Amino acid sequence: MKGNWPKIALAVLGIAVIVLVLVMVLGRGGQTEPEVLKVATTTSLYDTGLWDYLEDIFEDRCNADLQITAKGTGAALELGMNGDVDAVTVHDPDREAAFIAGNYSLNATVNNTSAARVTWAYNYFIIVGPESDPAGIGNLTGSGVPEEAFQKIQIEGKADPDTVRFVSRGDESGTHGKEKVIWAASGYNYTADILGNGTAQGWYFSTGQGMGATLTTANQLLAYTLTDKGTFLAYQGSLDLVPLVDTGDDLINIYSVIICKNGTKPEMAQNLVTFLRSPDIQALVAGFGVPQYGQPLFYPWDPGICGLP
Amino acid sequence: MTELWQAFTKALELLVSLNPEVIEIAGRSLRISGTSCLLASLICIPLASLIHFHQFPGKRALINIIQTLFSVPTVLVGLFVFVLFSRAGPLGFFGILLTPTAMVIGQMILITPLLLGFIISALSGVSKEIVDTATSLGASGFQTIWLVLREARYAVLAAVIMGFGRAISEVGCALLVGGNMRGVTRVITTTISMETAKGDFELAIALGMILLFLALIINTILNRLQQR
Amino acid sequence: MMKPLSSIIEVVDLSHSYGEREILKGLNLSIGKGEVFALIGPTGAGKTTLLRIMDLLEVPAAGKIYFDGKCIPRSGKQRLEIRRRISFVHQKPQIFSLSVYDNVACGLRWRGEEKNRIAGKVDHILEMVGLEGYKNRKARTLSGGEAQRVALARSLVLEPEVLLLDEPTANLDPVSTAKIEQLISSVARQHNTTMIMATHDMSQGQQLADRIGVLLDGKLAQTGDATDIFRSPQNEQVARFVGMENIIEGVVIANNEGIVTVGIGGSAIQAVSNCPAAKAVYACIRPEEVTLALSTTQSSARNSFHAKVTRVNTIGPLSRVEIDCGFRLVALVTRISVEELNLQVDREVYAIFKATTVHIMEKGISK
Repeated sequence: MKGNWPKIALAVLGIAVIVLVLVMVLGRGGQTEPEVLKVATTTSLYDTGLWDYLEDIFEDRCNADLQITAKGTGAALELGMNGDVDAVTVHDPDREAAFIAGNYSLNATVNNTSAARVTWAYNYFIIVGPESDPAGIGNLTGSGVPEEAFQKIQIEGKADPDTVRFVSRGDESGTHGKEKVIWAASGYNYTADILGNGTAQGWYFSTGQGMGATLTTANQLLAYTLTDKGTFLAYQGSLDLVPLVDTGDDLINIYSVIICKNGTKPEMAQNLVTFLRSPDIQALVAGFGVPQYGQPLFYPWDPGICGLP
Repeated sequence: MTELWQAFTKALELLVSLNPEVIEIAGRSLRISGTSCLLASLICIPLASLIHFHQFPGKRALINIIQTLFSVPTVLVGLFVFVLFSRAGPLGFFGILLTPTAMVIGQMILITPLLLGFIISALSGVSKEIVDTATSLGASGFQTIWLVLREARYAVLAAVIMGFGRAISEVGCALLVGGNMRGVTRVITTTISMETAKGDFELAIALGMILLFLALIINTILNRLQQR
Repeated sequence: MMKPLSSIIEVVDLSHSYGEREILKGLNLSIGKGEVFALIGPTGAGKTTLLRIMDLLEVPAAGKIYFDGKCIPRSGKQRLEIRRRISFVHQKPQIFSLSVYDNVACGLRWRGEEKNRIAGKVDHILEMVGLEGYKNRKARTLSGGEAQRVALARSLVLEPEVLLLDEPTANLDPVSTAKIEQLISSVARQHNTTMIMATHDMSQGQQLADRIGVLLDGKLAQTGDATDIFRSPQNEQVARFVGMENIIEGVVIANNEGIVTVGIGGSAIQAVSNCPAAKAVYACIRPEEVTLALSTTQSSARNSFHAKVTRVNTIGPLSRVEIDCGFRLVALVTRISVEELNLQVDREVYAIFKATTVHIMEKGISK
């Protein structure tokens, strides 16, 4: 057996190295005291970095371990329905209403009022596209600009799909939902005219992914897309797209937080709601990104725009 | 090509500076995939021995199914685990979805067919005469199995290495059942996926290189064991 | 049914097949304690199968096996316990990919032997087979002869009650063969181990064994000591196998107090036998018992025939000479004799052999 000793020693050394490395990188996320709160958020709130920014503050303030998973609004609400997360932050009023109607939500308290859906920030959707603006939507005026822009894109796109293109989220997200609303308001049957014919005609593309990926794709294809302003500003550095349409009632984008009834941490979830609407956090939200981008990515809660409570 | 070179330098930079976030996700990747590989091996080596050394009706069909499952998409395994362990699902009361534990379970399910298939193959490579010789020297059933495993140790360890490789490199399952949550379930592969989606290709490639580098270290160590 | 007290292994009515092929057909054999038994037969006769069944590696299709007087069950833990009292050296040794020491120590470890005692035993046995100093070598790097010795050591170190050997020297050069044969005999003498050895080398069987069994076509055609087998085969098949090249058909003409005259064609051979007259028989003569000479005067042998050489085949120091003396006869003589007598085709010679060297077999007694 003597001849085996060097090899045994080497094996032991190897195992020791692995153990050492593992111990060294044990890292955060293993604490037992703070209470775990799981939140599913829409990707637009996440890819901008806002959640990372707010996460540490909330964890310190409420002694929590905030675990955030970023999905499309559809997937986030699904997790909320099952109770796999304790709260959701999304931006699709229609589907939020359905969620609440389906009895998946718990009422939260804010300003001494009880409500299932609590809004806490807003910004605008914008239509971005290539600087050359082949469909000519950049100089539209009047009311109903978003709808007119979409119409022009459809007409020009059908005529020349190699030059005028549109990239969609296609993932049942809040942004995708808003896009569909605008198509409908423009007089189209989304499924038949846009998703069906548009794809077949070669000017309409669906990525099925988050805002960042969709913006990147639109950039590559030199296409138009609908995006929330916050995410666009965050990505502007690596994109050649420019904002072309930023006015219109339909372009408002309101973020809300909902406590999930099937979740396990209703109290901590309430803490999150209180946190998001607390004045100092609202101030932080308002100032987020200004030093970097020159403009705010989000606007704090405004009862006139977001509604009550 | 410049992107690749930039990515390479970025990878070096992240490693040398011991960037804390990179260290954290690297450690988690190793922990999760190492655990799943170890546990799966502990289960699959005896199980494969059992299948190999016994004749039973349907054995061929079973091996066929095992080999078919080599091709299972990782996201499918993720869906399976998701449906099983979601709070709305049958095993929801464990509450382990969106935790590293779920990722370990998912990866174990993923690499089990691989380990079983290749360990059975390794055992088949040991000639029947060796088994006969052991039997005639008075080895009991278990002693014979242990001997055959030792004779096939090179190939068995190769199977384990492959299992580890598949576990640490997969995205679909980890993303779905883990949720890519910072500080909790974020690993190298889910980060690569996220950064790619965000358009930061340089960082994504750099992370990929780091993952390969880790795999190189692990494999070198395991190779040493293999040479014994 | 009483078994002889000294029987250690006995098989009764043993039959076995591989798929469609019947390998063993209704075999009966009893081996005594301390006996060295050689199982000879052509390749494919079933020797290996018989040994495997005796080692309890396989369960026979039909028949019973007794070990030390007790019947062995067809399954169960008892088989392992008995198997541990038997050792089997296979035809092509399968060496484990371990060191020589670990290979030899395997069986002892499996039986739960103490570590210190294992070391002592292994060292001793390695010395016995002439492989001291090979302890830490990787066993797979050894030559054929060395590997065979490791396999032998591996089995011998277990001090089995019964040692089964399947063609132990089949793949070895003459020097290694001699070494192994020496080793086998000395072990047999020292430990009084029962040995059953399968071999197609008849001289090896003759040399080493107390008793020989001839296995032909799945059946034990004859058992007995060397003289019985080689000089008094019981039927034509065995006779052919043991090298009695001269098997001549004839009829007993007369029996005079144990000396028979057998008519063969136009000639007559004198032999020693109890066979009565008018019986159809085979007269068998070993080729080495036939002497060739240029005249008949000096011999006292009763049989001498005038013959003509039809063929001469020289292999090494011996020559096989075929002659025609009314019937075909084969003689085995030295090369020197061939030269001295100037034996070549068509040469006229006399074939001479004693009556005592002619073995008479009744025709019709076979199987």
